[in-house]
Amino acid sequence: MSTNGRTPILQLTDVHTYYGAIHALKGISLEVYEGEIVTLLGANGAGKSTTLRSINGLNRPRQGSIRFEGRDITTVAAHQIVKRGIAQSPEGRRLFPRMTVVENLEMGAFQRNDRPGIREDMDRVFELFPRLQERRDQKAGTMSGGEQQMCAIGRALMARPKLLLLDEPSLGLAPIFVERIFEIIHQINEQGTSILLVEQNALMALDAAHRGYVLETGHIVLADDAKALKTNEQVRKTYLGET
Amino acid sequence: MAADASAPTLATRLRRPSAVGALGGLFVLALLAWLAVNAERTPADFLEVFLIGITTGCVYALVALGYTLVYGILELINFAHGDVFMLGGMFSITYATHFFGLHTGQGVLIIPIVFATLLLAMISCGLINAAIEFVAYRPLRGKPRLAPLITAIGMSFVIQDVGLIWKGPNYITAPDVFPRSKVFSIGGVDYTWNKLIVVVITIPVLLGLLYLVQRTRQGKAMRATAQDMDASAMMGINVNRTISFTFLIAGGLAGAAGLLYSLYVTTVRYDQGFQLGLIAFTAAVLGGVGNLPGAVLGAILIGLIQAFNEGLNWHAPGSDWTQSIVFSILILILVFRPEGLLGERTPEGG
Repeated sequence: MSTNGRTPILQLTDVHTYYGAIHALKGISLEVYEGEIVTLLGANGAGKSTTLRSINGLNRPRQGSIRFEGRDITTVAAHQIVKRGIAQSPEGRRLFPRMTVVENLEMGAFQRNDRPGIREDMDRVFELFPRLQERRDQKAGTMSGGEQQMCAIGRALMARPKLLLLDEPSLGLAPIFVERIFEIIHQINEQGTSILLVEQNALMALDAAHRGYVLETGHIVLADDAKALKTNEQVRKTYLGET
Repeated sequence: MAADASAPTLATRLRRPSAVGALGGLFVLALLAWLAVNAERTPADFLEVFLIGITTGCVYALVALGYTLVYGILELINFAHGDVFMLGGMFSITYATHFFGLHTGQGVLIIPIVFATLLLAMISCGLINAAIEFVAYRPLRGKPRLAPLITAIGMSFVIQDVGLIWKGPNYITAPDVFPRSKVFSIGGVDYTWNKLIVVVITIPVLLGLLYLVQRTRQGKAMRATAQDMDASAMMGINVNRTISFTFLIAGGLAGAAGLLYSLYVTTVRYDQGFQLGLIAFTAAVLGGVGNLPGAVLGAILIGLIQAFNEGLNWHAPGSDWTQSIVFSILILILVFRPEGLLGERTPEGG
């Protein structure tokens, strides 16, 4: 894991974001380098989702800067972020429940015009998730949680992102689906997409990630290689359930 | 297992033999019996009234769709919508008579004039409706839901006053240009051109809307925004622009309804939008608010109920009761079937 000398694809510097009146992020700085999987760990309310919402433009930081591929995106509107190359599979999946699987995937490619490329990516998504192909004409809202999660990740991939934000991809899924989702995350990363992963399941996340950050009430309290974090005593106690 | 969520809901609905359901069924049966007796006694009247109902239903449908489109995307009952329809009537009369010199006895020349007026009225009302959203509702986005609702009622009064100042407190009349000669007869009843024109203009507008929502990129953006605003933004959809576009379309439909109403009924007054708006809103709720085919179905049903009530001879309550009947339907629907006739309860509550 050598990140030295490279420029990060995503760089947050001293980001302060408010959630209503709540000071949710109190100066977050983090980097994601090209080809990396980086995970954000932390308890509920630590600011993990707010960090993602700051990046994707839904919750603009009041202070600090966010740079993507060297360009400042702090004040870029939410609907223009995806064009820059950042796509997200949000917490709770947030599919369009009354659209079919195919329509949901097409929505992921909403800002693209290259029909052949979109077709290609649709085939790629179906290759990653054969289950979605079986259910292609089913309304997304009627599928099981695991299938919906696959569809949400597939939808994000349809934007052909350089950076994929994954918010709690394993939440509420049966163990067999959790393992499958993490296999897929690994595959997507191998195909060249950088990933910022927010996850409650710290063990799985640290197994999958190259590096990790630990958030506590809006601050980053730990930043290290995933392997090192896994053996960190504090992390083991708080997030890996050891006593 | 989760192959089709609508199937089990329908099944549970059918399997639930509640007292309320039985009463409702009885009520509908009684209604059908009443209609059958009327149809049997005076078949010609019945048919005539039926055709009138369809025609009024078309006008209601155009207005109801505006309520349903806006509700679908913002969960806002746009009380000002009926008044935009009223302005549509005023625009239509102004454009047709002042710009194009529409008057009776022009022969086929009325066809291009009506179409030009239709277009202009739709554009005018569309722009006004989008402007209302921009000025009155957009600044309240993300605020408690009551705020835009009260603002909508306020906008309704503002537009009524605009109509009052512009055209005065009295009815203004449109030239009676739609010919009343018969197109064809069924069972001794003439179907007249003026009714047919309403239907002939409504149907392509409805089909156009359906095409727009189902097939176009903007339509997709509208449907997505209605289902999940944040997720839509993440997909690269400009949510604010999509909402503006929705108000533009809804206003355009109200403009079309305004034209049809003013030329079919031939009178327009500043305060008629509020009442017709409420009826159209009831139609939207009846069909399932947020559901486009539902709004059309609800509007046709309300049009028929109104026509039957006012036009049939045997034990019809009469026009004094129309309002009471329509709003009783609204109450019954809200209490017993809030999702409407065609509405569905989606798993995610979408």
